[in-house]
This record gives sequence, structure tokens and C-alpha cells, in this order.
Amino acid sequence: MTPTTPTQTPDTPARTARFVRGIRLGTPIFLGYVPVGMAFGVLATTIGFTATQAVICSATALAGAGQFIALNLMKSGAEVLAVVTATTVVNLRYVLFGATLSPYLAGMSLPRQALLAFTLTDETFAVNVNDRRQGLSTGASMAGVGAVAWSGWVSGTAVGALAAAWIGDPARWGVDFAMPAMFIALLIALAEDRRHVAVAALAAALAIGLPALAPLGIVVPASWIIVIASMGAATVGAVAFR
Amino acid sequence: MSAGYIWAVIGLMAVANFLVRFPPIAVVSRLRLPEPLMRWLGFVPAAVMGALVAGEVLRPGGEYLISLRSPYVLAAVPTALVYAKTRSFLGATLAGMVFFVAFRALVG
Repeated sequence: MTPTTPTQTPDTPARTARFVRGIRLGTPIFLGYVPVGMAFGVLATTIGFTATQAVICSATALAGAGQFIALNLMKSGAEVLAVVTATTVVNLRYVLFGATLSPYLAGMSLPRQALLAFTLTDETFAVNVNDRRQGLSTGASMAGVGAVAWSGWVSGTAVGALAAAWIGDPARWGVDFAMPAMFIALLIALAEDRRHVAVAALAAALAIGLPALAPLGIVVPASWIIVIASMGAATVGAVAFR
Repeated sequence: MSAGYIWAVIGLMAVANFLVRFPPIAVVSRLRLPEPLMRWLGFVPAAVMGALVAGEVLRPGGEYLISLRSPYVLAAVPTALVYAKTRSFLGATLAGMVFFVAFRALVG
């Protein structure tokens, strides 16, 4: 992927059109986030969150897997710092995402960048990068994608937290596979040529192989696996494919 | 579980998640990155998705489940085909959930 010249978004009606375009692009994310957000709402209230706490947690962290890990640790009585550290490490990949997107966001004001950063997730990132490759993505469209994704996550959480008793076990609805299914689609969208397929395959092998090293005394903490596997594979790719 | 404990986790998680997201964008977008680093970053998206998919499908819940009787493995294949065929994220996500429920009922 070669970065093009960073685009400045002019203050024209085109910006609204691009924002709306982002909302359209983000709609599948919205619909994927609602059931998973519901699952978070149900689980959070089950371990003792109020509905308000569950919704505020989703609205301010927007951390997907990180939030589920937090619930798990909280249930087992982990200390506040241990919970926060674990979710942060799981989400360290956002550092990579931010760095990857940033050449396209040069010339954007800090407050706008802050808003975009706030809605950065695996899915919004992948959709924006994919859109960028087609030369279409702008700050306004990314804001649209982010806004609609955030709404899905938060509204799903609200429904789950308020209707936990009626929903029952979210696993019944196949929610366990909503995120994996989205990741599979995003992987195919992003692995557009032979080199990217090779790097993705290497990252996959590392993600599966690293935990198997434990019997040899090489223990990679679960929360680091994605970060280490993807950084390692990207490094091999950058060296091998010049 | 005390309310204070929950609020502390919520507050710190919000701060921590913003801190892993915002500074890289704010700083890196104001730098000119050298070409090798740009190339490296170009491989990051596919690498992260590859690692995420492998983990979710072959180690669901953090435990190895590499088997042709795993509903995760079984559902992953048609889900990939649906996306490749339709290029619809939504279609693939919904189809994936249906495949998963069906295979889980079948092999479960």
C-alpha cells in the first residue's frame, strides 16, 4: 500500500455527503456490534454492573474484546489496575492502527483527530483502510463510520443491559461467532495481494504457535499474542517484500 | 462487587483506551515517516486480521480447539466463501452466525 497525498477535506456540502457515505459503510459494523454489545450488556449486568454502568463503559471505552476480558477478571476479583492493564495490552494493536491511518490524517485538527481516535476499532480501521485503498476515504467518511459503529456498540449494550432477563444467554443466538465472522470478512478484504496473504498467514501461524511454546518455558501472556504475532509478521513482510 | 470498584475500572479503562488510540495519530500524522516504516505499517492491517481470525477460530476462549468437529472451524469456511462471493460485511456476519448456530447444533 502506497500512501497518497493526504487529502484536506474542504468545507463544502461534499463533506456531508462523505459523512453519509461513511455511515453507509459503517452500517454492517453497526449491525454486527449490536448483538455483541447486547452480549456485553447481559454479562456486565450479570456480574453486578448497573445498566447505566454497562452503557457508560461501552460508550467511553469502545473496547470490544477488552471489555469482555475486563468482565472476566472483575468476576474473579482482580484488582483495578490488573483489569485495566489487561484490557490495555489487548488493545495495544490500536497503536499500530493509529500509526497506519495517520499519514492519511495529516492536516486534520487535533480535536477532529481525537474524535476519530476515540472511535477506532478493528472494524472501523479495516473498513477505512479498505475504503482508502479505493481512494475514497476522507476524514468526514471516517467520522461517519466511527459514529455509526459507536452507536451500534452502545445501543446494543443498552438493550442487553436493560433486557438481560428476556434475552437470556446471548450465546444461543450465535453471538460467539459475530466478531470472528466480521474478522474473516475484513481479512479477505484486506489481504488483497499475494504478499499480504503471506503476511496474514504468518501472523495467523504465530498467533496459534506462540501459546504452544508454554511447555518449553516460553510463556507469552495471552493479552500480548495478537500484538506480537502481527508486529512479527509485518516485520518479516517489510523485510521480505521490498 | 462494589460500585466504587466498577466505576474505577470504567474510568481508567476509558482513559487507557483513549491513550492507546489518540497519541499515535496525533504524533505520527505530524511526522514524515521513512519508507521502510511506511511499508511495515502497510502490512499491519492484514497481519492483525490474520492473527485475530486464527485466534478466534482455532483458539476460541483461549483454548486450542483445532478439530474438524469445531463449529468455529466449520463455520469459518462458508463465512469466508459468502464474503468472497458477495463482498458484503453484513451478509458475511449474519451468515456466519447462522452457520455457527447450525454447526454447533449438528456437532455439539
